[in-house]
Amino acid sequence: MRNLKWRWLLIGVVTAAAAYFMWPPEKKIHLGLDLKGGIHLVLQVNTQDAVRAEVDDAMERVRGELAEKGFPAVAIQRMEESNGFRLKPATNTPEKDLNQILDDRLVDFNVSRGVEVQAILKPEVTRAVKDMAVRQGLETIRNRIDQFGVAEPVIQRQGLEGDRIVVQLPGVDDPARIKELIRSTAFLEIKPVVSTAPSEDTLLASTGGQVPEDSEVLPGDIEDLEGRVVGREYYLLKKASVVTGRDLRNARRSQDQYGQPAVSFSLNPAGATKFESFTSGHIGTRMAIVLDNRVRSAPVIRGAISDSGIIEGNFSVQSAEDLSLVLRAGALPASITYLEERTVGPSLGRDSIVRGIRAGLTGLIAIVIFMLVYYRLSGLNANVALLLNALLLMGAMAMFKATLTLPGIAGVILTIGMAVDANVLIFERIREELEIGKTVRAAVDLGFQRALSAIVDSNLTTIISALFLFQFGTGPIKGFAVTLTIGLVISMFTAVFVSRAIFDAVLSRRARVTSLSI
Amino acid sequence: MRFFHRTNVPFMKYRWHWIGISTALNIIAILLIVLFRGFTYGVDFAGGTQLTVKFKTSPDLGRVRRALESLKLGEVTIQRFDEPERNELLVRLQNPGEEGDFSARMIEALDKEFNASTSAIRLNLQGVDAVRDALAQADPDTVGGTAEARRAHYQPMANAILELRKQVGILSGPADLERAKDLSGAAKRYLADSARFGEFSMLAADSVGPTVGKDLRDKAAYAVGFSLIGMLVYIWFRFQLEYGVGAVVALIHDVIIALGALSLTGRPIEISTIAALLTLVGYSVNDTVIIFDRIRERIKLDRGKRLIETMNEAINQTLSRTVITSGLTELVVIALFIFGGEVINTFAFVLMLGIVVGTYSSIFIATPIALAASTWRERRKLAKRRR
Repeated sequence: MRNLKWRWLLIGVVTAAAAYFMWPPEKKIHLGLDLKGGIHLVLQVNTQDAVRAEVDDAMERVRGELAEKGFPAVAIQRMEESNGFRLKPATNTPEKDLNQILDDRLVDFNVSRGVEVQAILKPEVTRAVKDMAVRQGLETIRNRIDQFGVAEPVIQRQGLEGDRIVVQLPGVDDPARIKELIRSTAFLEIKPVVSTAPSEDTLLASTGGQVPEDSEVLPGDIEDLEGRVVGREYYLLKKASVVTGRDLRNARRSQDQYGQPAVSFSLNPAGATKFESFTSGHIGTRMAIVLDNRVRSAPVIRGAISDSGIIEGNFSVQSAEDLSLVLRAGALPASITYLEERTVGPSLGRDSIVRGIRAGLTGLIAIVIFMLVYYRLSGLNANVALLLNALLLMGAMAMFKATLTLPGIAGVILTIGMAVDANVLIFERIREELEIGKTVRAAVDLGFQRALSAIVDSNLTTIISALFLFQFGTGPIKGFAVTLTIGLVISMFTAVFVSRAIFDAVLSRRARVTSLSI
Repeated sequence: MRFFHRTNVPFMKYRWHWIGISTALNIIAILLIVLFRGFTYGVDFAGGTQLTVKFKTSPDLGRVRRALESLKLGEVTIQRFDEPERNELLVRLQNPGEEGDFSARMIEALDKEFNASTSAIRLNLQGVDAVRDALAQADPDTVGGTAEARRAHYQPMANAILELRKQVGILSGPADLERAKDLSGAAKRYLADSARFGEFSMLAADSVGPTVGKDLRDKAAYAVGFSLIGMLVYIWFRFQLEYGVGAVVALIHDVIIALGALSLTGRPIEISTIAALLTLVGYSVNDTVIIFDRIRERIKLDRGKRLIETMNEAINQTLSRTVITSGLTELVVIALFIFGGEVINTFAFVLMLGIVVGTYSSIFIATPIALAASTWRERRKLAKRRR
């Protein structure tokens, strides 16, 4: 064949490229979480939380301004189902003042007026608030993971809209800790303490069993000097915070006066001003440091504090470290629920690789021996094509940065079995052609020609089902679809193009060929 | 060497027998699934939480069960995982119908049951950072200085311990620490005294809540459905509708048999099982296409011959290829079944069975059905002309 040289050149270039891309394999082949260990999480941002906060905020502002004007509302109540609230103004509230407050403060609401005022958050605003909550959540989680220091994390929203976030962290060895780190809302508030009591009932005895409108009850743990939890205390707190996590400038792990781990924080200038004016006016009273709606500690204010504080109470070194980390990274705008978790420890991943390779090699060796015995020298040809197939497959995987997963290894193994099919088809055909008296050259020609349609059709059907699998698949299964598809495409190249080149090279050396080792 | 040389087996002659046998097998499989055993769904589809846990010694299953049932979160199933001497268990908690982080609670419950003290560093459960920080805090080497300096000093030791755990799966006690290279004598003594090895380590956790479970079920049904339609369309396009019908009937037959075997053996239906079924679909058609391709070729050459004879010849001519390829693919799948490990075992099982059934059905189902469909169409054409 005239163009034999060019064909060999092409084969050489492709082989060299594959070897270049895949070497060294332990660095170039990208392993999936199921092989190298790690954690895959699908979590849901409970966006309703953010909507509720938005409603609460507006409600609080309206109530505050009405009270300021001297006409406190008779009743004000959130409507859970409809993202809004209901307000019953005092009967003597001047119409003008009420209108002005409603117009100024409830821009994002559809307001209807009757005996009472009903304010419903506009649907488009609700959507925007939800979307924002997911985006902020994504950003916050990304910050936390960055600070935690995980190599090659994947943190992304599932779909363009929707409230799900996918987090993939390879090589994480302490899944419990990372899950806690991601989920903790880390919403820090400092609030004035009204009173405390060991149970809710005694706490509310002084206020007639009712929680006052501007206050709330939160629990907190009582600890002994060594940080062990010995009981529970209930706190009646003012709802309005003095400062919140948004006013933080920094947070780091430190120690309290007994040498126990604690977290100290510093405030930004705006927060510091608020904090100083509050503490200087409330010396001798207590303030509560509230984290995620639990009172962590409630120190007595001994003097004016401006820009720093400390959070104490039952920390280990690690949990103090983690809390300072999440405080630095910012609070989540809404709570988080885990929908799916896939954790693979590193030892299982390593085990899977070892076993996969063992299974693959066993299968490969069995096939190589069979082909040699059954097709003799032509079998050797097929074996060269087969090994080249494995090499090219790895090269392609490395080049496309495809991920090798455990099912992916199965895909490689299966490809070995199916790739040899093309050779078998061709060889059987050549044998048939030889049998009906064709010359060796003609038989080889016809064998390749006539087997081609069967090879293409049969591989395409498998590729079609692999595509559906890819569409459906989660991470590991996608890996299977990918290796199977790439492997089959490559097998058409190796079995048809490379095998042919080998035959032609061997046949072109001799002038007259009377027999073929097949 | 040569098998099946110039065979002339009358495959098509007894086609109604084979179709009868297969129909019977299918009915048995369906009855088995519907009336008796149903399917065991894995956490992927049923939802729930599944832990793979490695114990130091052969675990007391009763205690494991008690610990998990005390959570009152739902039905607990416990299964041995892999070879018994590896002391590995697959423990599963049925989903209580809500979303949440159940794996953490399960580990906590097991921790409480099997590990007496709950303070101190947990060498088999915690990570590098925790080990490093615990060492830096206790400072057995009395490095002193800043926290950062101490951490830097103990980091390689923590890495060595975790690397060791990665190799052995579980650290069984202080003696194991001798094998961690970078560990200083004082650190070893400190960990031997105060660290907690515990009875188990966690190898893997899978938790699927109801929302994701439903998503996966829908997706699986679509994937299987669409790939069947895809096959029909492809073969219709490349051959004729009659052949497409034959191939798809054979496929459905293969899938039903595979499902019946899954039901019979109680192997779980998981994402990887669906992957195996889809691969089986691809493989089965692959095999069928080879025969159809030969029939297509022969029809042009054997003008005037009856279709049934052409088909029979085509099957005989491709027989050695069919057997060799299926045999070789079966060989690698058997290797996967034996050596591939527990995680991939059901996947290999489905393929192992599927290749045999798929090969059988290409010859004994797909081709006869294609013949029947063609004959039926011919007759209808004739009937129309007569009218």
